[in-house]
Amino acid sequence: MALVFRLPDIGEGLTEATVVRWIVAVGDSVAMDEPMVEVETDKAVVEIPAPRAGVMLHHGVGAGETIPVDDVLVVIGDSGEVWDPGTAPNDGAHPPPVRTEAAPIVGTLEEAEEVDDPRLPTGPEALPLVRRLAATLGVELESVTASGAGGRITREDIEAAAQATGPMERVRMSPTRLAISRNLSRSWQEIPHVTTYGEAKAEPLLAERNRLKEDSGDALPLEAFLMRTLVPLLGEHPEFNAAVDGEDVLYRKAYDIGFAVDTPSGLMVAVVRDVEELSLEDIGAEIVRLATAARDRKINAGEMRGATFTVSNIGAVGGRYGTPIIPYGTSAILSVGRADVRPVVRDGELGVGREFPLSLSYDHRIIDGGKGRAFMDAVIAGIESAS
Amino acid sequence: MAELNLAQAINAALDHALGVDERVLLFGEDVGITGGVFRVTDGLQERFGPGRVIDAPVAESGIVGAALGMAIAGMRPVVEIQFLGFAYPAFDQIVSHVGRIRNRSDHRFTAPMVMRIPYGGGIGAAEHHSESTEAIFAHTPGIKVVVPSNPYDAKGMLLSAIADPDPVVFLEPIRLYRAVKQEVPDGEFAVPLGKAATVREGSDVTVVSYGAMVRVSNRAADLLEVEGVSVEVIDLRSLAPLDEDAIVAAARRTGRVVVATESHRTAGMASEVAAVVQERALYSLLAPVERVTGWDTVVPLKRTEGHYVPGPERIASAIRRVMAT
Amino acid sequence: MEPIRLLDVDGALLGDAPIDLDETRRLFVAMLTARAYDAKCTSMQVQGRLATYAPFEGQEAAQIGSVAALQPDDWVVATYRDAAAMWFQGYPWMNLFLGRMGDERGGSAPAGVNVLPPSITVGAHMIHAVGLGWAESMQGSDRVAMTLFGDGATSEGDFHEAMNFAGVFATPTVFLCQNNGFAISMPRERQTAAEFLADKAVGYGMPGVLVDGNDLFAVIDVTRHAVARARAGEGPTFIEALTYRVGPHTTTDDAARYRSDDTVEEWRRRDPVDRVRSYLQHSDAWETAWETTVVEDAAGEIEEAVAAAESLEPLERGAIFDRMYSSPTLAMDRQRAAQRRDDVDG
Repeated sequence: MALVFRLPDIGEGLTEATVVRWIVAVGDSVAMDEPMVEVETDKAVVEIPAPRAGVMLHHGVGAGETIPVDDVLVVIGDSGEVWDPGTAPNDGAHPPPVRTEAAPIVGTLEEAEEVDDPRLPTGPEALPLVRRLAATLGVELESVTASGAGGRITREDIEAAAQATGPMERVRMSPTRLAISRNLSRSWQEIPHVTTYGEAKAEPLLAERNRLKEDSGDALPLEAFLMRTLVPLLGEHPEFNAAVDGEDVLYRKAYDIGFAVDTPSGLMVAVVRDVEELSLEDIGAEIVRLATAARDRKINAGEMRGATFTVSNIGAVGGRYGTPIIPYGTSAILSVGRADVRPVVRDGELGVGREFPLSLSYDHRIIDGGKGRAFMDAVIAGIESAS
Repeated sequence: MAELNLAQAINAALDHALGVDERVLLFGEDVGITGGVFRVTDGLQERFGPGRVIDAPVAESGIVGAALGMAIAGMRPVVEIQFLGFAYPAFDQIVSHVGRIRNRSDHRFTAPMVMRIPYGGGIGAAEHHSESTEAIFAHTPGIKVVVPSNPYDAKGMLLSAIADPDPVVFLEPIRLYRAVKQEVPDGEFAVPLGKAATVREGSDVTVVSYGAMVRVSNRAADLLEVEGVSVEVIDLRSLAPLDEDAIVAAARRTGRVVVATESHRTAGMASEVAAVVQERALYSLLAPVERVTGWDTVVPLKRTEGHYVPGPERIASAIRRVMAT
Repeated sequence: MEPIRLLDVDGALLGDAPIDLDETRRLFVAMLTARAYDAKCTSMQVQGRLATYAPFEGQEAAQIGSVAALQPDDWVVATYRDAAAMWFQGYPWMNLFLGRMGDERGGSAPAGVNVLPPSITVGAHMIHAVGLGWAESMQGSDRVAMTLFGDGATSEGDFHEAMNFAGVFATPTVFLCQNNGFAISMPRERQTAAEFLADKAVGYGMPGVLVDGNDLFAVIDVTRHAVARARAGEGPTFIEALTYRVGPHTTTDDAARYRSDDTVEEWRRRDPVDRVRSYLQHSDAWETAWETTVVEDAAGEIEEAVAAAESLEPLERGAIFDRMYSSPTLAMDRQRAAQRRDDVDG
């Protein structure tokens, strides 16, 4: 097998050398250690002896040319062997000089993996800076739960512990609560909320609802009526069926309307898909199905995702007006309060009637006050004309 | 048992070793007929003869180099370099050969020898006689470096050093030679090398020290005790290998560390202790590590030496500073 | 002083031969084998298979002749240029190759071979030989310690301390100084103002002997006397062997910068191997075919050692931690773990 021999660093820091003269030509025989080439470095002219006996098969460069260290200088093989310069060079008969990183020998030594001795004492661990903060805030390190790497108390841990005073109990949030908490924080931090208010006469819608109940025996949920009303309005006011995404506004082409469901685990939003294709009864049935599934914890993530607009019936728990928080990924939410019997002024006359208190929060980045007002007026008109 | 001072304890160790092991010999300037300039080897040549306790020409490098040859050939030489300040001519032999022969020969040839070197100041000696540059030895691979602070440890550690198959630099704090007396057992006993000792229990702050500075640290601790501060004092006893775990355990316990040495400030053993503390006990620290050391100057002569070698007040000040943080 | 000579440049005997023909042939073979090692190392260095190499060509008689006067368990403490001496006292070729390849396993002489690894520092090792021989006599053995060094080493302070101790304590030490004319580029005349290095011995109370270092017989004879003195408890001897470093200081040295080719040629005419060959030829104890076989066998022996050294399993990266102390220490184990961690991350 041919030996590929590369120009070594023979000058303690050599990077290249120039071939002065080839002593052994390609095709000629050469003995082990016989001088085969004269090269010139910046220190001297040096004869390099052949690393094996055989036949010179290849010169890396010609006389007068420069060759960098580690480039192929010669290939020496056996008589009759042919050398193809395109061949990936192998390392031939000699193992490489002991310069490269050696692989570890399999041994049976006990190796100390951990630098630290686990028997050494440990107390609460915190950077000096954090300790100073604790001292300043009057927080005892022993009472702080550490959240940092390696069990270390962080600055945030100190700050959290400092919030509360007096006797207290720390309870970690459930996963659902944590998710709700994160989503709401996100909405609140990123979306500039404006809430506008209005009232809609409730009698027409309530009358229709009663009529349908007499016919079918079931009272349709209020949200169903609202969704039916909202679909054409969202079509006319597309900013309310949209979302801000970076520097873009995403106008949603579907009408997947979410509604709030109060469950033991917390407030969830379930989504009725393609509301425009559903009849009022179908919307109602779907709302009931989703609400039941949510309360039974059988709802799946897909049924809670992707609302393009949200309604919230806070009247169901006795609420009137509110400041609803826009679900992240949408631009508006409408909450409807309970239509109690109250003093009302209609056509200039003071009387008694029922009106739905309406609270509409919208993303002020894409919806200005005028647009907000216009949409509210449209919603009021839609509810009052219930048919 | 007997009450011995440091010099006597060392003498007792050498006497014992010469008596039980015929491979042991002493070699150095004035160790024989005159019993050493501090009388540490007093009486030994009389007892064991000039073939076992050998006076050397004034040639520190030769003393160490010849001892290396003797150790390789199977003897257990204990050489003395009269003062640390005179060890510098022997430094090449120690660094280039004594510490390396095992590695160079892949364990085939080794150097089981002890180099006794009186060191340190505070005795108003002439120039060169007050050196405390032991960090240079600790920085040298292949040797062990130990320093007792009391007669008990001196005898026990010297016996361990003589028995050690590796070369040991055994530093003797000159100003302690006669200053402390302590009960020291007769005969053979060993104090293991490489282990620090807690010489004073305490919970508020740890003072890490060695050699003559241990007593000074204890005096500083006394001052602070009156002020209501509980001071722990650790005697390193071994500079190479350094008992890192003892240092780290103490730092994690008290959270405050003061290191007291009489060596120069830069790159001394105090710097190494501080490095270990911050590397492995940072999260327990209540204050920065304070170093109480000599200065980066030549050790001054007698008249102003007191402003160089730290006294109890300087250590006490450092303790107060870390307590106030 | 006239250098002691028993074999002149043309191989003619000037006195009594200290060894018989069989032994002469044996030493001739040894010198040829050593020369083959020297040439191979130079070759391998240029091939990048060895680190820097310090050739001893021209000094074979000084090294092999002196060691020939020793017993197999005498101590030899020599330098990086004394491979022939070390080998002749039992240090395997493979170990010498390993040393030049940067592998510490080469420093471990076989049990019973009392040869220290070659000293790389100049002038610091002779004192070790003093201590070795001294300890041998303390322990009741009659082993002697021979230390080889060059003319440059006599300028180092530790040379003085070694000679002084040896003289004062009458240690069984043979100081074999190969004055080969140069310490790298510094010629002997500029190294010291003494006319002969052998003159220095007077100052230490020991005999100083000047010998033709290229004369195998004279070197043997002179060293035998020194060794006998030492073994008899009569103390040390300093031998100055006049020889010449035909090759460069090391393979990275360009000797033409500080000496002329004429001088080199002059000394080649006094080649130690040629001299012995001439003597054997005069004595009808030499044939071309025989030398050819010897040279072939020598080449084979050297190639075997090269192959053994180059095929040794690689050193484990943490091996250094195992060689510093007699048993594992916590610090070494932890640093080994840190090395492993850093190698993985980096």
